[in-house]
Amino acid sequence: MEFLPVFEWMETSALGQIGKTYGGVYAIGQSLHLMSLALLGGTVLVTDLRLLNVVLRDVPSDVVTNGAHRWFKVAVTMLIATGIFMAAAVAVRMYYSAFFFAKMTALATGIIFVFAVKRPLLKRPHAEIHPLALKAVAIASLLIWFSVAATGRWIGFS
Amino acid sequence: MNALNNLLLHFAEWLDAQGWSSGLHESYYMYNWVESTHVLTLMIFLGMLFVIDLRMLGLALTNVPASKIAARLNVPMMIGFTIMFITGLLLFYAVPVRTTQSIWFRIKFVLLIAAGVNAWLFHRRMNESVSTWDNDPVAPKRLRYAAGLSLALWAGVVTTGRLIAYDWYDCYRVNSDLIAWAAGCMAE
Repeated sequence: MEFLPVFEWMETSALGQIGKTYGGVYAIGQSLHLMSLALLGGTVLVTDLRLLNVVLRDVPSDVVTNGAHRWFKVAVTMLIATGIFMAAAVAVRMYYSAFFFAKMTALATGIIFVFAVKRPLLKRPHAEIHPLALKAVAIASLLIWFSVAATGRWIGFS
Repeated sequence: MNALNNLLLHFAEWLDAQGWSSGLHESYYMYNWVESTHVLTLMIFLGMLFVIDLRMLGLALTNVPASKIAARLNVPMMIGFTIMFITGLLLFYAVPVRTTQSIWFRIKFVLLIAAGVNAWLFHRRMNESVSTWDNDPVAPKRLRYAAGLSLALWAGVVTTGRLIAYDWYDCYRVNSDLIAWAAGCMAE
């Protein structure tokens, strides 16, 4: 399937034109993207470091994971919304960027991992889950979201 | 002010003349890894700060004592800040002259100092009063203001940091007197 026409359409769309025309608006979109990435990082780190018994060891892990998940959803929604805005302005360049597709793959993996694996598992009482399973989920989560952030940063260098 | 700008420019030019400075700037992988590390540690530092501030505002983890959140997340937050600060210094070292004369860098620097003072006052006020409200879902009004201000200041730091990359007000452009003064542009 050929995706180039979709990327060309994105760049000529109103969203793409706003980002192209108004540098200040585009820069604010980039800043909001960074802040949502930071919020996402905070919620992921608090959850995963708690599961690894690194932080908040004296707080039940289900309290931490449930509390952080709400803000994870906010962060990932903001991340996607600002990401679409940023990509639309340079969509054709993104089409030819290997790092862009690496980030999209990592992001899709991250979202599927959270909603199909991590959350269903962590919704159960944590005492019933094998400690190694909790730690494995935390390490996998850290690696996936690190990949999302790192590949995203390298889009700018490619 | 002119003398200070002159001094800063001379210092930046001295840094720029060093081989390590241009070496770092011209190294594709090294410079980009330093910049990537700066952004990744921003996730650690700012991420932890967001969680602490949201707790103070009564928007996250309200069933956990506020002092516990602040104390336990302080260590990873400061680790993130330290690496972010060191990589920030390296980024400045790699491009000293343009950065010194960037109005965005200067605003970022002022916002960083304001955020630091706010954090210090916040911790002092929190430690003085936390025993009376630690288990409350929302912190007292003064601390909520400080948490809100912290979020606003760091949003400003991130935004101005991002804007450093843009050359809209660089000294080689024709700028208003106010912009040229604030950016520290010196006559050739």
